[in-house]
Amino acid sequence: MSEGYVGDRALVSTESNFYDWGLDATIALTIVSFLLGLLTLVRAVSLGTSGVALAEFFQFLLVLVVGAIGIVGLFSWLNVVPVTATRVRGVGLGLLVDLVALAALTAMVELSMATLLGLVLVVQALIIGTAGLASWFGFVDTEPSSTAGLLAGAAFGLVGLLVGAALGGTLLGGGSLAYYGSAIVVGIGFAALTLGLREDIGTTLPVALLVGTLGLIIATGAIGLGWTWKPGPRIDGAFTGQVVVPLFVLLGSIVGSWGAAKSRAGYGARGRQYGAYLTIYLNAVMIVAIMVSIVAFVTQKGIIYAFHGFTIGALSAIVVLTPLVVLALNFARSKAGTNEWHAGARQFIRIAPLAALGSLVALLVFLLVSGETFDIPFTYTVWIEGRQAEVLDSAFLITSEPTVGTLLVVFAGGFLVWYFLRRYGSLRGVGTRRDRVTSIERWVGLTIGALFLLVLALAVEGKAPFGVPVATTLGTPLVALLSLAGLGLSIAALGSLLVGDDPVANRGYDRAQILRVGIFGGLGLLVTATVLEHVAAATPMVGPTSLVPLIATVAAVASLSVAVLTAAAARSASTEFGRVLNRESGLGLAGAAGFVVIAALHVALTGVPFSLGPVSIGITGTLSWPMLMQAYIPLGAEPGGILPAVVGTVWLVVGAAIFAIPLGVGAAIFLTEYAEQGRITALVEIATNSLWSTPSVVFGLFGAAFLIPRLGSKESILAGMLTLGFMLLPLVLITSREAIKSVPTEYRDASAALGVSQWETVKSVVLPAALPGVITGVILGIGRVAGETAPLILVMSGTLNSTQAIDVLGGFQFIAEPPFIYNEALLEATAALPTQVWAVIAAGVSGSPSMGWASALILLIVVLTFYAVGIIMRTFFRRKLNHE
Amino acid sequence: MDGIVSRLEAGLATLLALPLRFMSWLVGLPRRFAQFLTDLPHNIRAAALATKRVLFGADSALEEVLLGLALIVALGAIVFTFLLQSALTPYPLVVFIGIVALGWRSYQARTAKILTVFATAGTVLTLAFITYFLFEKAWTPLVDFGLELLAIPVNEQGQTRWFFWLDFILPQGEGQTGWDPHNNHPSLLAAAWATVVVTVIATLVAGPLGLLGALFIAEIASDGLREAIKPAVEILAGIPSIVYGFIGFAVLNSFMQDAFLDAGASFLIAGLVVGIMALPTVVSVAEDAITAVPKSMRDGAIAMGATEWQTMKSISVPAAISGISAAVILGIGRAIGETMAVAAIMAGGTTFARPLFDIFDQSVTLTSRIAISYGSASSTTLEVLFVAGVMLFIIVAGASIVAQYIERRLGHELEAEA
Repeated sequence: MSEGYVGDRALVSTESNFYDWGLDATIALTIVSFLLGLLTLVRAVSLGTSGVALAEFFQFLLVLVVGAIGIVGLFSWLNVVPVTATRVRGVGLGLLVDLVALAALTAMVELSMATLLGLVLVVQALIIGTAGLASWFGFVDTEPSSTAGLLAGAAFGLVGLLVGAALGGTLLGGGSLAYYGSAIVVGIGFAALTLGLREDIGTTLPVALLVGTLGLIIATGAIGLGWTWKPGPRIDGAFTGQVVVPLFVLLGSIVGSWGAAKSRAGYGARGRQYGAYLTIYLNAVMIVAIMVSIVAFVTQKGIIYAFHGFTIGALSAIVVLTPLVVLALNFARSKAGTNEWHAGARQFIRIAPLAALGSLVALLVFLLVSGETFDIPFTYTVWIEGRQAEVLDSAFLITSEPTVGTLLVVFAGGFLVWYFLRRYGSLRGVGTRRDRVTSIERWVGLTIGALFLLVLALAVEGKAPFGVPVATTLGTPLVALLSLAGLGLSIAALGSLLVGDDPVANRGYDRAQILRVGIFGGLGLLVTATVLEHVAAATPMVGPTSLVPLIATVAAVASLSVAVLTAAAARSASTEFGRVLNRESGLGLAGAAGFVVIAALHVALTGVPFSLGPVSIGITGTLSWPMLMQAYIPLGAEPGGILPAVVGTVWLVVGAAIFAIPLGVGAAIFLTEYAEQGRITALVEIATNSLWSTPSVVFGLFGAAFLIPRLGSKESILAGMLTLGFMLLPLVLITSREAIKSVPTEYRDASAALGVSQWETVKSVVLPAALPGVITGVILGIGRVAGETAPLILVMSGTLNSTQAIDVLGGFQFIAEPPFIYNEALLEATAALPTQVWAVIAAGVSGSPSMGWASALILLIVVLTFYAVGIIMRTFFRRKLNHE
Repeated sequence: MDGIVSRLEAGLATLLALPLRFMSWLVGLPRRFAQFLTDLPHNIRAAALATKRVLFGADSALEEVLLGLALIVALGAIVFTFLLQSALTPYPLVVFIGIVALGWRSYQARTAKILTVFATAGTVLTLAFITYFLFEKAWTPLVDFGLELLAIPVNEQGQTRWFFWLDFILPQGEGQTGWDPHNNHPSLLAAAWATVVVTVIATLVAGPLGLLGALFIAEIASDGLREAIKPAVEILAGIPSIVYGFIGFAVLNSFMQDAFLDAGASFLIAGLVVGIMALPTVVSVAEDAITAVPKSMRDGAIAMGATEWQTMKSISVPAAISGISAAVILGIGRAIGETMAVAAIMAGGTTFARPLFDIFDQSVTLTSRIAISYGSASSTTLEVLFVAGVMLFIIVAGASIVAQYIERRLGHELEAEA
């Protein structure tokens, strides 16, 4: 709407183009000076820059602007990104002209940045003043009101008051009469000028006066680099020119842009709108700039240290990239628009990620095949034991090793299984139902259940439960039998597609049940075999290799073949068959990924690498990322990393989520679905909202007073988990309630009308519909608590350089008396990412700043990843909801 | 403009009427208490019936009632053992899980409902526990020290420092900080004042910028731009406070030394950083308030020939002014509760700001006092820190309740006007 408003027509008549151009250029100039003010304030550019350096800086800016405007202009000309608003075009051209002028000026005349900024302000003031006079004398068509308005008058009065005080206090000397006197005189003068005159002159005159005065003060050097002002004899600090000049420039630019925009739109209601909008736009730009610069600054400071010694094998890299490839593929599948040029541009954007990933994977395959390595050497600085800086060599390295670590395979494969199963949906009730397959399905389920009990018994009672040496005698044959049965099932799935006379599509449809039971049954049996293998310590071998991963590989190939066959058949099948076949190919891919994960699981549990030809799954793998994967190495040549903190944060988040999600979601269901909406629910809502805004440090105090005495009277990760869980709880509750409330009442009514009970409705209708909202809320909440520091300092003070990561999984012990499970590790304190950063600050001079920046970067990445995932999911589901 | 003025007048009138309403509430208190006592038996019976209905339904089988009772007993045992003898907690926990498993198999709907009731009770209990344990820990120092907790520090000459003529009420502290809990001088006044100064600076930053940002997102930005800038603001909210703190610690302090010839850490820089941190809260809550203004109101203005800016200035903002003030209040709450950034930036200072409004001085705030002193604290110090916690809790929870009250009223008003 707003753009349409800006672009509806040239607001000023055609004869006065010169007036328009001049003001467009002035608006552009105020934007330039605003940005320069920001840059000089944060010292990205020094105010003292002059001569050749300054000229080069402006040439650099000019190149950037030419590039930006050039590409927008090109696409606008091609009608891909049409820019129709005359004012936007005008300001864009104005930017170009201004920067050419500035670059030329600095190249010809020896100027300092401060002087230049002052001159720029003076020029703005002159043009705005002239514009006001032109309107006053009727040279241009404008529609000024009788006065500039109370708001503008009050604002100018206030600004005048401040400027008067500043001028009186600094330039005339700090006597109190001059101070207050000049403040009041200037303030009232500005307000009177603004309110007393017709709008055109009443706007431009005070603006020109103010901006011009500021510009003259800076340009003449009355306030320059060496200038200081101490507000009072006992005040610690003082204002220096380095701060005051940029602040003056910022003030002048904002006021100037407002005045110029008002004049450009011909005053009156439209002028006020353009002026106000420009100010609000500049503010929005500033907020985004703050965000971007914080993230960019931390990244720039920390990235070198964070990636020291990063090495990855090409095959591992490919495994890491597979989920991304799948996601990019999914992105590229989304439908394109219709308009020709638009469609072309969108199609390009859609396929760009896939293409980039494809070339990356091809590069990795090339490394893998050719045996070459790829490296980017760099140096980084460490403060070993806080003594002095030491510069170390390092490199970002991709080797050609064809080995993958189990963890990578499990994570990437697990993601793929999840993704493809979501696409698979369900095949229940499709095709012909065969009694024998149904009975096989039942038997497989029963076998897995029975063996689960056996596994439990073995885990609790040791290898010979109740004196029967089950593991040693039965273990190996059982595992072998199970895995062979799994292989049989997966081969049967493939066979059902291959054998027969009718077309593959028909077979795929008819024998959907065999496919489903074959692949799921195969996966289930092989997982059971792998777990049994671990607890019974029985590994059947075929020659030098173990049986289980071998079978898993064969089954993976079979599954993949199923996927390929069904996908190929689906290309020419009818819609009904095609849909089933597509699901079946999803199932096949999920199965293939699942079988590979099982092979990796086997390696992880037995500790014996598994290799097939040159490719192998190793225990440690070829990914080495010292910052994340090593603990601190005392007195070492290399400092190691912050593994304990990473592990600590992961467990804290997991623990908090396990505590808070069931409680929060359960309470949300009760409050929204069961409870009568009345005083009690309102009270609970107010209480949870207050709990949400309670300072985190208060949660820490509570944890310290309530939890620690009850959890072994010492700082522990369990206390940290619960404290963060308390913080997460209100967030989960609030967002879940909102999500459940937003499920349309029609859903519940329709379900009730079918005679479904309330709980069944909640379980099968309301919760699934609310799930996306709940998950989004949980993810955002986890992002928030993952970065919390204050409560952790109170319940779990970490040390600066921990050398050992907490081992929660390994800490679980099964014991033969209640409570059966015991975990020593949960009662120990550990480092976490936020406390790691805090420890660097608290250590003062003995802390290592470079490590602090790297830790802060890792923390930022972790937290922002949660936020990004949450926000993307929300946008995605919201869009989906709107389309339906 | 007039809209805002009349709104503000109405708000002021409500505010001025508050003491009167409180007085009348106070006068009516004995009567209501008597009424409460007479109604008590009836209410208890009604509450018991309601509880029974919620837990067991109107007409349940004996088994379901037994199941509910068993679950309640098991849960009670968990809570009590955890409070009194935490080593025993696993036993009732196992029993509880067992009963849930049994119940889930046979009476799923009933079990699920009871579990959601328990989850609600657990959430409410958490709040109750937080309040109770904070106050319990803070009670001893509150009784022992009383107003000593807010003693006014002295200057170099040993005279009481000026603090808003409050030296008639507040006692004189020891030393220039008043903070020496080992020797029974637990004055939190310096920290409380530091919180005030930091919060004021932060509000000056976050308030105007947040309002303009909210206007931009709610009214001006096109759909595409809004989709880009809203996540940006949310991500700004997601940056952990310790990261801000580290930036302040590592970079901004030296910038201050250079640009303001200051000793380093200062209220100014802490306030600016906290203001940026509170900004997203202000933006998103104010944006919700402005978006909640019914479209019909805006359309009316547009139909009268007003420009968008006039509509915004005279219709949207005045209509949403209470929501916007709620946003600012929540932002203030966020600023007061901010811990790590302040602790990292102003770790060193403990003195009372000198002079009172010197924004180049430094001092720990209430929150950072807790965070910094907790590790090395003696038992007296610990208890005093809990007093600081209670102060924070009351202020921030109060701000939150006021903001919710305002938002609720805004919702009703807009419904009425729409």
